[in-house]
Amino acid sequence: MQLDHALRDREPADAPTTAATAARVRWRDHETFKTLFVNPWTYTTGAVVLALLNVALMAATGKAWGVTTSVTYWGAWIWRSLSGDPHAWPYFAEVKPAFNAPGFSFWNDAGSLTNLGMVVGALLAALGANQFRVKKLKSRRQIGAAMLGGLLMGFGARLAFGCNIGDLFSGLPALSLHGWVFLVSIFLGAAAGSKLLVRYFI
Amino acid sequence: MAASGEPQRTLRRIPRTPVVKKERKNQLPYALAVVGLVVAIGYYLAAGLGAPKSAFVWIVGVALGLTLQRSRFCFTASMRDPVLTGGTNLTKAVVVGLAVSTVGFSALQLGAYFKAGQLADAMKLSSLDPVGLHTVVGGVLFGIGAVIAGGCASGTLMRMGEGFLQQWIVLPFFVAGSLIGAATWPLWKVALLVRTDSGVYLPKALGGFVPALLVQFGMLLALWVAADWWGKRGRT
Repeated sequence: MQLDHALRDREPADAPTTAATAARVRWRDHETFKTLFVNPWTYTTGAVVLALLNVALMAATGKAWGVTTSVTYWGAWIWRSLSGDPHAWPYFAEVKPAFNAPGFSFWNDAGSLTNLGMVVGALLAALGANQFRVKKLKSRRQIGAAMLGGLLMGFGARLAFGCNIGDLFSGLPALSLHGWVFLVSIFLGAAAGSKLLVRYFI
Repeated sequence: MAASGEPQRTLRRIPRTPVVKKERKNQLPYALAVVGLVVAIGYYLAAGLGAPKSAFVWIVGVALGLTLQRSRFCFTASMRDPVLTGGTNLTKAVVVGLAVSTVGFSALQLGAYFKAGQLADAMKLSSLDPVGLHTVVGGVLFGIGAVIAGGCASGTLMRMGEGFLQQWIVLPFFVAGSLIGAATWPLWKVALLVRTDSGVYLPKALGGFVPALLVQFGMLLALWVAADWWGKRGRT
């Protein structure tokens, strides 16, 4: 009876009634499981793990983590499916010739795979921590902010040849100057964006 | 936490522990189903397409998403919070991450360099991209967009997985913005004076790995100290 009460305190939604469910609850409450999958990691732990994964990517493929170039490919593939001809664009010929290589597709583009993996990995982590919840939109302004912010990020990333990942988290530590220039620029942009956010979007 | 749709929170420091309002239904079975999906896609890449490297990249991608979610990592917040709330814990963590990857990347580059004594071999592992006025304009636009949209490139993908509907709207517009950028390349290439060969590799520009790494770690240390000072200043 006492134990039953203790468990009910933790799980008011579905109080365990059988020995089997009680065992499962205890397994989920195990400290190791909680440390890894339920309690948040420190920011520094996260940063170091991200850095090591990035180095592993570079070691295995010769290319570091990047997000936005593949997002551009996605757009170009969609454009192609709408009977456009992105392969004729000077951009891909001059800047990203890989896009025009024969046999190039979503499944052999490292960036596409890591992008999809990031969505799935975050979903997995949220489910494992019992924290997954559909967070609905709260206002029309939020929709406008999402649209405008998305457009600005997409266009800005093309101009800068990358984003906070490709330029900053991969370019800067790989000793490329553009990473440092991007760091200063994105910081200025974020500061300006904060003012806009407070003024117009909250 | 960083979504603009939670205005009452954006002005505060990001809380370290998520506030669980009520106990939800056990989601672990769904988590196991997702693990199954991850393994299935990995198997398809390795065995079906005969591309074990792609399978490895896929698993790293999943690990990246998992890490981002578990540590509540947000590059946008690391840039925004010093301005908005004065908090710099995330900023300092980013600097630590940059230092760790500098060690890893430069080790790989040095390995490539010593094989044949060619700096060009090391440069291949440097994510080298053109640098110039366009980097500044693009970076500023990207920073504004990331703060308004409530997440940068990695944050958008992570929040999509966490269930934020806002980021499901951000992505198609992110794609559209990227496509517009690629389509208008001939225009901004001229307007912003882009030279595709303008990439600067620090060991080449500064005359070797030793000065380059000294400058690199010196700048990172200076950044960390500045962020630490800024964070403490706001607290007292």
